[in-house]
Amino acid sequence: MSEKNREGKRTARERMHEERAAEEARGKRNKKLAVVGVVLAVVAAAAVVGVVVQNQRSKPDTPVAAPAGAIGPKNLVIPDGPANAPSVLTVYEDPRCPACGSFEREFSATVDQLQDQGKVYNNYHLVSFIDRSLGGKGSKLGANALACAQDAGKFRDYHDVLYKNQPDETSDAFGSNATLISLAKQVPGLDTPAFESCVNGNKYSGWVSAVQQDFDKSSYKSTPTILLNGTPIYPKKGDEEISPQNLVKWIDEANQGKPLGTTGAASASPAPTGSAAPAAGTSPSP
Amino acid sequence: MAGEQTAQPRGGSALRRAVDGPVAEWVGLAVRLGLAVVWAWAGFAKVSDPAAAAQAVRAYEILPESLVKPVGYALPFLELALALLLVIGLGVRIVAGISAVMLLAFIAGISSAWARGISIDCGCFGGGGAVAASQTEYLQEILRDTGFLLMAGWLLFRPRTKLSADAWLAM
Repeated sequence: MSEKNREGKRTARERMHEERAAEEARGKRNKKLAVVGVVLAVVAAAAVVGVVVQNQRSKPDTPVAAPAGAIGPKNLVIPDGPANAPSVLTVYEDPRCPACGSFEREFSATVDQLQDQGKVYNNYHLVSFIDRSLGGKGSKLGANALACAQDAGKFRDYHDVLYKNQPDETSDAFGSNATLISLAKQVPGLDTPAFESCVNGNKYSGWVSAVQQDFDKSSYKSTPTILLNGTPIYPKKGDEEISPQNLVKWIDEANQGKPLGTTGAASASPAPTGSAAPAAGTSPSP
Repeated sequence: MAGEQTAQPRGGSALRRAVDGPVAEWVGLAVRLGLAVVWAWAGFAKVSDPAAAAQAVRAYEILPESLVKPVGYALPFLELALALLLVIGLGVRIVAGISAVMLLAFIAGISSAWARGISIDCGCFGGGGAVAASQTEYLQEILRDTGFLLMAGWLLFRPRTKLSADAWLAM
């Protein structure tokens, strides 16, 4: 009798121990599951918040405001030269890109001449992706200042001045609006209060971002990308290296049998017919 | 024979203490905080310019255009969330698991870009997008991510670390 009783007591105690252990294990498992749940919820929430916040912060692909006279489906392109010229030279350039600087130093006189002869119409895409890899704001602010110069009708001259004064790629000199405005003084008539407020207010930042996003989605990966009537010609057209002579030759070949464009009024930087030249011309006569 | 037997436990015990003993939890703390710094750095570098982050994803030419922006926008926040969880030490094992899966995906993406002969920056810590063929650094990028993967692997197998929320919750 008594032995049976003792046995019964022991089993009851053991059972209690087992139950407590099982409960503890269950509690631990529940705690673990709760932590896993919290972690997964935090991670999922972060992803959703990221998509929503970044969507709100990112600038639209279609700009709200574009510089005067911009062309193309979303007004992302700055035209330069006679619009009815038989050939189109499409140029993708970043203000900070050194290869663009050397292209401009070598070709800008030739391109200006071809425009003034009515042979070619330029389409500029002012991309700004060097800021991403090197940091800084020079590409974006430089592109904005160029858009401001377009508003003032001085795009070509300011574009030439910027590339002539281009800093080293790693220097972010164009990231200062003061530098961009002081360079504008080299273009007669450009440095007006309207231009300065356009530059200082970064008026076309949304447009600059839209131009870059358009370039992101294009198949072109580097600058300068230069197309003559849609065909890439930089650094080579087929087997021929680009050079000022070859550029003239290619454009003359493409223009064969086509009427030249109207120069003068259509050109973004008109020939100096207004003030200085006639005055100089008339002075010797008396 | 005898020399070998006495030498082995001494070297072995130091290693075992680092992997199994109380020292392991301090090593785990260092690894945990190290990985947190990696994720925080990667996240902050990508968060400021959403268009650049999207372009870094697009440049891999793996995801369809419709997924480029969601992934580019979500990734930095995901990385920051992992950094936060690692700093407080909550759910270290699952966070390490998620980290390892992401790092494996990054390594696979970089390898794929390398194999297909496209020239991009991995965009791991900001930047990204196409670069000149001479400027690619695929091997360094893969080795770096492999190092991070080893850190995640440590935490996956030794999730008990000092000064963690997990320890405080007595898990």
